Amino acid sequence: MDLIGYTCSYIPVELVSATGLRPYRLLHGDINLSKEGEKTVRVDACPLVKSNLSYIIKNKNKFAALIGSTGCDMARRMYDVAGELTDLPVYVINTPRTDNPTIYNEEIDWLVKQLEHLSGREFNNKLLASEINKWEKIHSRYHFIDQMRAASPSLVSTTEFHRAIAHYYQGEIDTKPEITEHVSDKPRVFLIGSSISYEANSILELIEQELRIVGDFNCGLSRILNIKITERSLAGLKEAYYNQPPCIFKRPNVKFYDWIRTKIAALDCVGIVAWTLDYCDIYEFELSTIEKSFNLPVLRIRSDFSYQNLSQLRTRIAAFGEMLCSRI
Amino acid sequence: MFKDLKPDKITLREWSRQFQEIDDNTIHKYRYYGNPEWGMYLSPPATFMVYGARELKRLKFDNSLAALRLWGFVFNESERLFRARQSGKKVIATMGDLGTIPVIVTSFPDCISFYPECTWWTPFFNESTVLLNKASELGIPEASCFVRATLAAFLKRAYFPKPDLILASTGASCDDYSSIMQQVENLGYEFTWLEIPYRRDYKDYAYNSSSKTGNGKKCDERLEKYLVKEYQKAWEKMVGLTGINDLSILQENIKKTNVLRRLVNSIKELCYDADAAPFPALEMMAIEFGNLYAYADFDEWLSILQMVYETIKDRVRRKVGVLNNNALPIAWVTPTADPLLLNIMEDAGCRVVASEYVINQAMVEIDQDIDPLHALARSFINASLIGSTRARVDRIKAQVEAGRIAGVIITNMLGASHCAMESRLIEKMLDKVPVLSIDVPAPSGITEQLKTRIAAFVETLRCAKS
Repeated sequence: MDLIGYTCSYIPVELVSATGLRPYRLLHGDINLSKEGEKTVRVDACPLVKSNLSYIIKNKNKFAALIGSTGCDMARRMYDVAGELTDLPVYVINTPRTDNPTIYNEEIDWLVKQLEHLSGREFNNKLLASEINKWEKIHSRYHFIDQMRAASPSLVSTTEFHRAIAHYYQGEIDTKPEITEHVSDKPRVFLIGSSISYEANSILELIEQELRIVGDFNCGLSRILNIKITERSLAGLKEAYYNQPPCIFKRPNVKFYDWIRTKIAALDCVGIVAWTLDYCDIYEFELSTIEKSFNLPVLRIRSDFSYQNLSQLRTRIAAFGEMLCSRI
Repeated sequence: MFKDLKPDKITLREWSRQFQEIDDNTIHKYRYYGNPEWGMYLSPPATFMVYGARELKRLKFDNSLAALRLWGFVFNESERLFRARQSGKKVIATMGDLGTIPVIVTSFPDCISFYPECTWWTPFFNESTVLLNKASELGIPEASCFVRATLAAFLKRAYFPKPDLILASTGASCDDYSSIMQQVENLGYEFTWLEIPYRRDYKDYAYNSSSKTGNGKKCDERLEKYLVKEYQKAWEKMVGLTGINDLSILQENIKKTNVLRRLVNSIKELCYDADAAPFPALEMMAIEFGNLYAYADFDEWLSILQMVYETIKDRVRRKVGVLNNNALPIAWVTPTADPLLLNIMEDAGCRVVASEYVINQAMVEIDQDIDPLHALARSFINASLIGSTRARVDRIKAQVEAGRIAGVIITNMLGASHCAMESRLIEKMLDKVPVLSIDVPAPSGITEQLKTRIAAFVETLRCAKS
């Protein structure tokens, strides 16, 4: 019972960690877990949600609590189902979709109270400052790898980056990431879309056989590195997490597109890989807009975590790479 | 004067024949917006089939004059919205919140509201995939809620006039619709976004004050405060549009809204408690959804419902109904996009005696004795989709436990976020009775297989009863 499961980039990991328990980001994308999840939710639920749900139920003894947010509807409802099927304490915070910092700030205050109660600890300034410092140090390791990934030529693959950052998301903060450098002159692409699960490493590897992903906006990859804490206090945490590059679920989502546009230009990307999971409305409905917005070729990859269409996917990625090479 | 015949459900053809018995005075008497020149809407349902609602030829309707008024009025909405625009009324699209923002909008003189998402019924009534295909062309996946028809309707501009204002609610609500609204905004429409916060279970708030919702349950004061702020934003938008800033008009409109809501609750009670089902489920669903925005003409809709109420009251008094007396009582959870399913269920031998159509927020009365924006917030806190599944089906569960319900039908929309996550849980929570969970097929997609499933479900209920 040393884990606290959580899902959303708007949940400050420092607060979860302040309980003394291990923050464990629920990012399970396993086809078998997903199939198992269909015993508790319908087949047309997001495969990540189905997979996470099965993981929670199977491993409920490892968790002390779960923390969710209203980020996307299915993820929010996952906690409802988990709360019904386990005895775990479940806390769900309102992550406003509109520009509404008051709601977010007050929800974080509420969460602090719940976590203080859960852990029997007082989240005073000293404790929070120490947690922020601890996580900043960890972040800095990944910032370094991210910069190597973004360098021109790119020195580290996203496959490597993902393998390393999985330790962060699983709360294994004492494990120092070990990275093998692979200089690449393959076409530089930006990855965008649904969450990248722990099990998605082989997909990244497949993509990077032809392309080099030099930046991303996906839960499970580098999103957390965009959170800049300037004040080492609860107020500073709120401010930093609220003002992170906005999730696509924000309404309107203009700022999301603006941020991606700037990032793509800075990274000198020549293409975009749009990764979506089945029934991920938030990204799937946006794909046409994504294609129109950046004036770059987009490769759509849709997944249910199965690898049934691997050969087809390999061919598509190769063709996309070839097309990008001919444009460079 | 036309006199109602023995209660029955009749076909389009039968209604056309019966319509000939209705005298001209009656036809001329009922008009929307009280307009003596062009507001007539009483016509046989066949009229609307000619205009494109092809499914009407498969449906059966209640044979009362009240039902005729109801359907004439409901199907006339598109014309009514364009007429509203022509006659200088402000047409405001209220999206996503299902039932509360229209109370603000319609308190302003000559302002009407409508829900573009109600276009989700259009492909089914029209037996047409035109809107759904257009949505696909715009990049919306086929395996998503039928509410995607709304996006195409905004693009085509033929189903409702361009709104003077769009008040769109998002937040702790379904992803499909939030994503559709974003695509509508991308078409170039100007949106005012309003936040719908998440409601934790009432029990979590033991430390809160005496703040009450429409159901008298304790609720979170912060939730109320958040909503009030959003309603203030909507109010200010309306003030900007009309130049009127007087909260007493909202107070008055709340009173009017409560008259409607009380009436609908009385109709439901009368109908669901009667020994013989006095009114069909399809008409009852249309009545419930009228609480959202009174189909863009409050006074006329209220008048229609008063007539419906009298009709039902008379039938209850005479102990006559439109279905067999041994029809099995069921609850219906989540509204069906295809109205034909309600007919099929009744033909198979059931009657709806309880419903959860994701619009609980529009069914509760609004507090008349407090600040009106707070009162609206407290009523909205009862919303079906902003909280837990348990809270959503508690009422149905209580009726199951009281032995009033023999079975439950859940209709799902493939790809709709709340259906995907809730349906199994609802089945589990209502496990004391048989539950049939069905996916609403695409327009014209109801198969014999689906009818057989419904028939088998009814057979199960009969066996359980005997």
